[in-house]
Amino acid sequence: MILGLDVGGTHTDTALVSPGGVARVVKTPTGSDLLETLTEALTRALETIPLVKLERMVFSTTLATNAVVQDRLDPVGMMVMAGPGIDPELYSVGPCYRTIPGVVDHRGKEVVPPDRRAVEGIREEMGWLGLDKVGVVGKFSVRHPGHEMSVRTWIKDHFSHVALGHRISGGLNFPRRIHTTYLNAALNDIHVEFVQSLQATLDRLGLDAPSYLLKPEGGTILMDRSFDQPAHTAQSGPAASVIGAIALHCTPQTSLVLDIGGTTTDMAVIMNSAPLLNPTGVRIGPYKTSIRSLYTCSIGVGGDSEVRIDKQGNLRVGPNRQGPPAAMGGSVPTPTDALVFLGKLKAGRASRACDAIEKLAQKIEKRPEETAERILEEAARVIAEGASQFIQEINSQPVYTIYELIEDRKVEPERVVLIGGPALCLAPYVQEALGLPAAVPKHYKAANAIGAACARVTTEINLHADTEMGKAVIPEEEFETSIGRDFTIENARAMAGERLKERALRQGANPEELQVTVCDEQVFGMVRDFQRVGTNIRLRAQITPGLTRKWMHELCEI
Amino acid sequence: MLKAEKKMGLIFFPAYDWAISPNHPEREERLLYTQDQVLEEGVLDIEGIREYRTRPATVEDIRRVHFCVPDEPSVTTESHMISAGGCIVAADAVMKKEVDCSFALVRPPGHHATRIVHGNRGFCNVNIEAVMIEYIRDTYGVRKVAVVDTDCHHGDGTQDVYWHDPDTLFISLHQDGRTLYPGTGFPNEVGGPNALGATMNIPLPPHTGEKGILYVLENLIMPALERFQPELIINSAGQDNHYLDPITNMNFSAQGYARLSKILNPDIAVLEGGYSIESALPYVNLGIILAMAGMDTTHVKEPRYDEQYRPQEDRISSYIERLVEELGPYFFEGKWGGPTYEIGSVATKSRVIHYDTDMISDNQTEHVRVCGDCGGCWKIHSSSTRGRRVLVVHIPRNACPECVKKGMDWFDREEPEDYDHVFLQDRTNRQYLVK
Repeated sequence: MILGLDVGGTHTDTALVSPGGVARVVKTPTGSDLLETLTEALTRALETIPLVKLERMVFSTTLATNAVVQDRLDPVGMMVMAGPGIDPELYSVGPCYRTIPGVVDHRGKEVVPPDRRAVEGIREEMGWLGLDKVGVVGKFSVRHPGHEMSVRTWIKDHFSHVALGHRISGGLNFPRRIHTTYLNAALNDIHVEFVQSLQATLDRLGLDAPSYLLKPEGGTILMDRSFDQPAHTAQSGPAASVIGAIALHCTPQTSLVLDIGGTTTDMAVIMNSAPLLNPTGVRIGPYKTSIRSLYTCSIGVGGDSEVRIDKQGNLRVGPNRQGPPAAMGGSVPTPTDALVFLGKLKAGRASRACDAIEKLAQKIEKRPEETAERILEEAARVIAEGASQFIQEINSQPVYTIYELIEDRKVEPERVVLIGGPALCLAPYVQEALGLPAAVPKHYKAANAIGAACARVTTEINLHADTEMGKAVIPEEEFETSIGRDFTIENARAMAGERLKERALRQGANPEELQVTVCDEQVFGMVRDFQRVGTNIRLRAQITPGLTRKWMHELCEI
Repeated sequence: MLKAEKKMGLIFFPAYDWAISPNHPEREERLLYTQDQVLEEGVLDIEGIREYRTRPATVEDIRRVHFCVPDEPSVTTESHMISAGGCIVAADAVMKKEVDCSFALVRPPGHHATRIVHGNRGFCNVNIEAVMIEYIRDTYGVRKVAVVDTDCHHGDGTQDVYWHDPDTLFISLHQDGRTLYPGTGFPNEVGGPNALGATMNIPLPPHTGEKGILYVLENLIMPALERFQPELIINSAGQDNHYLDPITNMNFSAQGYARLSKILNPDIAVLEGGYSIESALPYVNLGIILAMAGMDTTHVKEPRYDEQYRPQEDRISSYIERLVEELGPYFFEGKWGGPTYEIGSVATKSRVIHYDTDMISDNQTEHVRVCGDCGGCWKIHSSSTRGRRVLVVHIPRNACPECVKKGMDWFDREEPEDYDHVFLQDRTNRQYLVK
């Protein structure tokens, strides 16, 4: 039995999943105190169930996101090494952001070494300011982590926490590296404290199974291995739902997932039983990060969206929400009211929904039944329009080789999976508007918690090898080794695979699910003065997000 | 988060799976480090900068400009079609007003490709700028276009394509042809009888630096653009004037290129040459992108610029000042002299075009109808050392009835037996015929 828990804005969903299927789902209100909410949800989920043996527990929480949005971040000093390019001052973040000499170029060659005296000076300044945590980030540090590591050696005794840029992501993007490093340092205390309190609660409840946190890419990490990367556990909600959709609709078909909520509908794509990932990184509050996440898009239509008549007399749904649906005491009609009116849904007081729909019907001089139908059709139309734009956006991602351009592989969903509260009632309308077969799993209201339960441990590393310089670097692992001139892509794959597996096991992966996927690889002959001087290899390998146990592929409800 | 002052489109197509030959300067690795720099700088996260996916150009796009001998597939590859297509995507983005300006960072380059294509010349097969410009004209009805070619090599292909076109001002600034391939681009090359003055060549001495190039830009090129009043300015943005370029001898820099882009303010820039792929291109391209987007470029320098860069010598500065002093009146007052032509007559010229990459020589004899009403129709007899004999006939856009008639007459009269092929490129009626 595996427990999955997803904290949402209004509700917290908990699911117990076993080889026999989804054993239980429980919905509890989300309170203002996260730990209390979790305790309540766990207690309710496990009450009256004879003591089950839990294999693992996975939590998708809002801790990091809320801390960022509510600006409860710890003060962090930043030391940045930039060199030529865009002025690094433009990325200033935190109370003490300082640039220090030290330059690495795109190949990972040292141009200017870091300046110890400058570092010491800034370290002192940060000391006066009472800063206890520091982030150290260099441009191209993923190609040459040495500079950040030297700085760490010089200052580590003076800070409780030193976050280094190259460990966060091996991808290239200096501004995102700065902001992600900052967030990881700024969330450190709050995260550690939360994990410790949660651990204490779990102990008190007698829950001793390994605990994991969900990440925005739809993978998990062992809770007590997450201290260095708290920001990587933010924004996991959409991922929970999508992994849930993978578990519950189980086909290798390309599917569009629509998670219909109160205010918005979140979209994602599943291909070959894995979610499509965003090529850059997730945005947390105002910060663009290099943290991997699902490729998602949100449209402003949900069950509680406002229905109004525009100036041209057309019926419109969303993107605004004016409080709850009329049936629940709200002031404006919503798609939920249309469903209540048509008898497709029981919620709140039907008479209020009827009043709201009838009033609207008079305005557009239509019968109330027809008006209710039109509302649902319009909601579905907006969703379908957003979906086709989303797919078009995915398909217009640039490619860089002739092969890819000629091949022109396109994402073409074969069906749509609907989850979230209004999913079942809206499915026929969405199916019609999209022209794709729609499927709604039985547990469509708790797909998020089921997804959390089913998500496997994922991780990613980047390898950069340059045989002219004679070195290979895996920045995430702080691994650097010398290589011979005969180092090949096969050597690179083997090296990356081995390191990736070790990393995944350390982060709590099941030894049976260590399937390494090389998602990108490029090999370039390097020529100088008409002579071949070496080979430049870039490779990205990952454990792809997906289901953590074989039996989960049998959970299918469609 | 950073915001661009001007909305900008970026088309990046490094063709990571194409090279002329493994050790050739035009190889897979060429834009690798540029891409690294652009990604690491987070350029694509800047609000207002948008990256577009490229697409291949069509045969129809190519036929607006070129006569491919014997046909398009024989002398182009997918890479050329995609490179030209990248420029078309850049043009669409600007013309549809999705962005204010755009930069096609594509390869292979195109500015040495002439009207008749027998093979690869100076790393180029298809003139990607010209293919884009003629696409713009047919799609968006633009007439007057200026091309400013800032590659270190004379843009002889573009010059050839627009030699007879009074609606296209072609300006090339380059290392003096007496010292560098292709050996042309002298001030007296001013355009055909119907387009005199619409071609401007400014040869610069080896070792010309930031100061000299910017001086020419401000004192010769900008005034020329001011006079011509183009609807669009295209920059053939070659980057081989750089002081670290291995195959040229100039003394320009990333700072210089950024300044140049800011002053010139092109609507569309198209990458041409530039072969210091590791030490110069990443910084030059970053500089051009930021400058076009209206952003600060103060810190965009080669890593060792401050110790490496030698400012332009005084003797070069005075040479360039003199050059500008002489060329100003020469261009602007039409003091180029030469023969006078009678309207309605046919002017004839013979020449040999050499294809360095593919080792072909093409003997051409050109006839152009001197016309007071349009660009004039022309025909070229071409026989290459590959043994192909062709006749090509061109009727320009908005041709006068006389030139349409004359061009059709040339095409109809010629018997295919005398040639391997006879081609007609009728830009007025938008047809392309081969017999």
